[in-house]
Amino acid sequence: MASPLSNFSLLTDDLLFRILDKITSTSDRKNFRLVSKDFHRFDSIHRKTLKLLRLEFANSLLHKFSQINALDLSTCPRIDDATISSILLTSRFSNSLSWTLNIKKLVLSNATGLRSKGLELLMRFCINLEAIDVSDCWEFGDLEACALACGLGLREVRMDKCVKVTDVGLARIVVGCGKLERLSLRWCMEISDLGIDLLSKKCHHLRFLDISYLKVTNRSLFSIASLGKLKSLSMVGCSLLDDVGMKYLGRGCPLLQVLDVSRCNGISSYGLTLVLKVHSGLQQLGAGYCFADLSADLIYSLKNLGSLNLIKFDGARLSDSKFLSISLYCKQLVEVGLSKCIGVADEGIIQLASGCVNLKILDLTCCNLITDIGISAIADCCTNLVSLKVESCNLITEKGLERLGHSCLLIEELDLTDCSGVDDTGLCTNVHDKGLSHIGQNFSMICELDLYRCEGIRDEGLAALSGGCRKLKILNLSYCRAITDEGIQHLSNFEDLSVLEMRSLINITCSGMTIVAAGCKKLLDLDLKFCRNIDDSGFWALAYYSRNLQQINISHCGISDVGLCMVLGNLTCLQDAKLLHLTKVSVEGFELALRACYMRLKKVKLLSSLRSLLSAEILKMLQGRGCKIKWH
Amino acid sequence: MDLNDKIVADTWAKSFSSAKDLPKQLTSDHRSFTSFNNQQQQKKWEVSSILDYNNRIQPPFPEFNHTPEAPRNHNSQIKGPDREDMQSNEKPDNKRFQEWDPRVMLNNLSFLEDKIHQLQDLVHLIVGRRGRVLGQSDELATQQQQLITADLTSIIVQLISTAGSLLPSIKHTLSTANPAIGQLGQLGSMLFPPTNSLNGVVLQQNSGGSKVSGQSNQIDLTVNCGTEQNYAAEEHDPKDDDDDADEGENLAPGSYEILQLEKEEILAPHTHFCMICGKGFKRDANLRMHMRGHGDEYKTPAALAKPNKDSSEPMLLKRYSCPYAGCKRNKDHKKFQPLKTILCVKNHYKRTHCDKSYTCSRCNTKKFSVIADLKTHEKHCGRDKWLCSCGTTFSRKDKLFGHIALFQGHTPALPLDETKPSSLPSDRTENNESKLGNIGFNFSASGSGGNAIQNMVDVKGAVDDPAAYFSPLNFDPCNIPGFHEFPRPTFEESDGFFSFPIPGACNYNQKTGGDSGSNDLE
Repeated sequence: MASPLSNFSLLTDDLLFRILDKITSTSDRKNFRLVSKDFHRFDSIHRKTLKLLRLEFANSLLHKFSQINALDLSTCPRIDDATISSILLTSRFSNSLSWTLNIKKLVLSNATGLRSKGLELLMRFCINLEAIDVSDCWEFGDLEACALACGLGLREVRMDKCVKVTDVGLARIVVGCGKLERLSLRWCMEISDLGIDLLSKKCHHLRFLDISYLKVTNRSLFSIASLGKLKSLSMVGCSLLDDVGMKYLGRGCPLLQVLDVSRCNGISSYGLTLVLKVHSGLQQLGAGYCFADLSADLIYSLKNLGSLNLIKFDGARLSDSKFLSISLYCKQLVEVGLSKCIGVADEGIIQLASGCVNLKILDLTCCNLITDIGISAIADCCTNLVSLKVESCNLITEKGLERLGHSCLLIEELDLTDCSGVDDTGLCTNVHDKGLSHIGQNFSMICELDLYRCEGIRDEGLAALSGGCRKLKILNLSYCRAITDEGIQHLSNFEDLSVLEMRSLINITCSGMTIVAAGCKKLLDLDLKFCRNIDDSGFWALAYYSRNLQQINISHCGISDVGLCMVLGNLTCLQDAKLLHLTKVSVEGFELALRACYMRLKKVKLLSSLRSLLSAEILKMLQGRGCKIKWH
Repeated sequence: MDLNDKIVADTWAKSFSSAKDLPKQLTSDHRSFTSFNNQQQQKKWEVSSILDYNNRIQPPFPEFNHTPEAPRNHNSQIKGPDREDMQSNEKPDNKRFQEWDPRVMLNNLSFLEDKIHQLQDLVHLIVGRRGRVLGQSDELATQQQQLITADLTSIIVQLISTAGSLLPSIKHTLSTANPAIGQLGQLGSMLFPPTNSLNGVVLQQNSGGSKVSGQSNQIDLTVNCGTEQNYAAEEHDPKDDDDDADEGENLAPGSYEILQLEKEEILAPHTHFCMICGKGFKRDANLRMHMRGHGDEYKTPAALAKPNKDSSEPMLLKRYSCPYAGCKRNKDHKKFQPLKTILCVKNHYKRTHCDKSYTCSRCNTKKFSVIADLKTHEKHCGRDKWLCSCGTTFSRKDKLFGHIALFQGHTPALPLDETKPSSLPSDRTENNESKLGNIGFNFSASGSGGNAIQNMVDVKGAVDDPAAYFSPLNFDPCNIPGFHEFPRPTFEESDGFFSFPIPGACNYNQKTGGDSGSNDLE
């Protein structure tokens, strides 16, 4: 051990920092930290972002990493006014408040327990804050918006799904944060034209704006058109907008680069053409589920857009000739979304692939006319492909996938859900083990694998997979019913696995569960729905090992009162639990388990029959903490 | 000016002596036109205000009633008009209103004859002087010429004036029965700044012919009367010692008298008191009702009738001045604008110069000093639910947002701010709001008040007074705590800052209570 350490000591601080810059993966960072005390120190100095998983260590971590400029509390349970103020208080007493001055970005999404006072405290301490994310804080209203408005230096505000924020709250933010450059108001349903109008009048520096799913009219687009610096505008699902609004948009926003009009039913391809003709600098265009037919005029206007690198025409009708035009006009395309497009066939895909060789992300979900010929063309031309979604493309066989595996070595995401044509040897209804072993051998960088309803997959397949794909993070094995304890134990090799769906794996028992829980320490999201044969001892293991678990679905499981209490009480990071149809759990068991974790839960799904049986007190406690109860 | 002064002094001395010499030689018949002399003289020789003032307080003394007119008529000197004429102004004019005598007309005619003779004499004089003018020094010649022309114009004007007074009945009705004239005069006084108003009137005379000039005289007189009363009432007031102000008042030809109540009087809850038991009432009618309980003598229709309605005399228009120095409604203000009624005075004084002690129980932000304003507000409170941080309320959201878009730094205020007190942050917003609320109130009160113009002026006055109204508008950064204090990493000042969630907040105690609440902080 002495010799390598001495070698490392030759590295200067500067070099080490440069090396650290290159290490992005958290596990690699962890390994780096473990080398020596010096490396650990370097790491803590170099660290710029901190994502807290538990509140318990907040103070020591914040003290240690006082140089961080981004703090993420989104997955941290129990963030509320009292805990925020106690963190600040403790920091203050130990004279270690300097971290508040360095913080520039704060992620508070899902912090449903937080209210205006705690938020305002944070805003007042973190005076240099430039970006804040409070999305999915569904209890946030105008008071919280007022608190946000205290951040005078804010440049970025994300408040998606803050459904209670009204125009008044927006106005507070708009007036308070004059430097605002990026603002996302997605799903803030209470915000109307008035708020958007004020925003356009006050925030002249706005570069990014997301008004998706707002009930705004063309008047808002008229106002938005006056934003001279706007580069990105997303207005998905604004069904009240129509071509008149697009005409306004065509007259303004000279710097527009990103436009998403998906699901805007009122906008026709003529309206979109009006914008495309003017804004030649457009780089990304989203027009999915917008209009049934893409007009030739619209396709022709794409010629104007020299730097276009993303298009999404989900749900549109596309003929081969249009693909020809697209491949001619848009050579720079990197991402193409064609899910549920009608008329997409091999010829079109061949043309697209031959024209757009830089393609990295391709979504062909439900384009069920595509065969291996199309996939081969993609594999041959687009060697940089990172993500391919061919869900429900039944004509694709293992030959196509093999071709893909040989040429596209960078692939990270492959969606073969419901690809009943994919088989290992012949044309069976499912992916079999051999197919998986191909994947295991060829896709070593793969991090997400969805094998939903691949009922042919057996234990050997999983074993082959676990041998090759060490980086797998997201795995869906739902309804792969042939998998038993023996196969599932290979999952413990996936150290980075964080999301695991194993619905309806009825052959899995407590022993398999225990091995998975002990092996996959980073598991965040676990779906055990319909895993009827996992009993309490399996859940005990879960409660004991999977301390990082944030989300769990144990509906229809054989868990009892004690098991539920153990799971909900011990998993201190758990924030989202789906607890439907737990036949072995009594009302008292629910009551007790919920009391054990009400401080942390942000979302819980319960049978509506429990609504009257559970005490009003626990319901009130849950809701008081911002926990959303979904009654099923 | 030297020359003029000299002449004035000269004439003064002469007239004084002549008054001694011929105290009772003249009837009052000629006095009607002499009032005009007064004007003329003032115009030409800018008599000092002190003289003018004396002039006004003199009428009550009996000997002056008999002094006038003499010098000019009987000495037949060149310097016809002089101070004595002016001194005699008021009494005769007042008399003339009451009685009309045909003999007066005869006298007027004979006076006209006299004047024509005088005029002839003067012209002769001029003719004679022309012959000698070569022999004299230039200086003396011009002096004499000036004097002669002055007298000439004076006599001519007197002629015209007297000719106009030959039709006195018209003049009488016009000046007394028609209040429009008075208002006209008042208007004049409003239009012209006090110092210039005399000129204005004289212009009117010159252009308007004899009758108009006569009326103007009347108007001027009433003004004088009014101001005179005013002085009498305010002799003890040190503020009125200023001569300039007096001059301004004197010269103002408004046809109203100015009354000024004292602060205590304005703020007194009751203005009518029972002579027997001392109980106070706001209204005279209530007092009369009350008096019935003190005996049968108060139950007669006469006792119960509304008093002072019987006076047939022309009532002088009364206007009121605010006792607050520097206020636009104070008569010493350069652009003084009088208040119409006592009620106006009371409301104005309370609104502008008093604390706003009545708080709306609904919104807890708006404060009023007049209960009626509070009641008016409470009728609408809550209806204007769109509130700006400056305190202005709007009934419509788009109006509020238009307002906010227009003004830098204004934001919509949350009505919830008040319902969730405690904690430093919300204190801050409340402070701001209540401060700004004052201004908002003023404007809104002016809108809701009864008399629109009155209130408009009120607001103007308010704006004129910097101490009372602009201080809340100063967005003093020190008033907004937090921003400048928080950067300090030591946080020595902000002890109270932390206090809220842990001990104080009942909600949090409940929620964080239990074992789990404490261990996560360790």
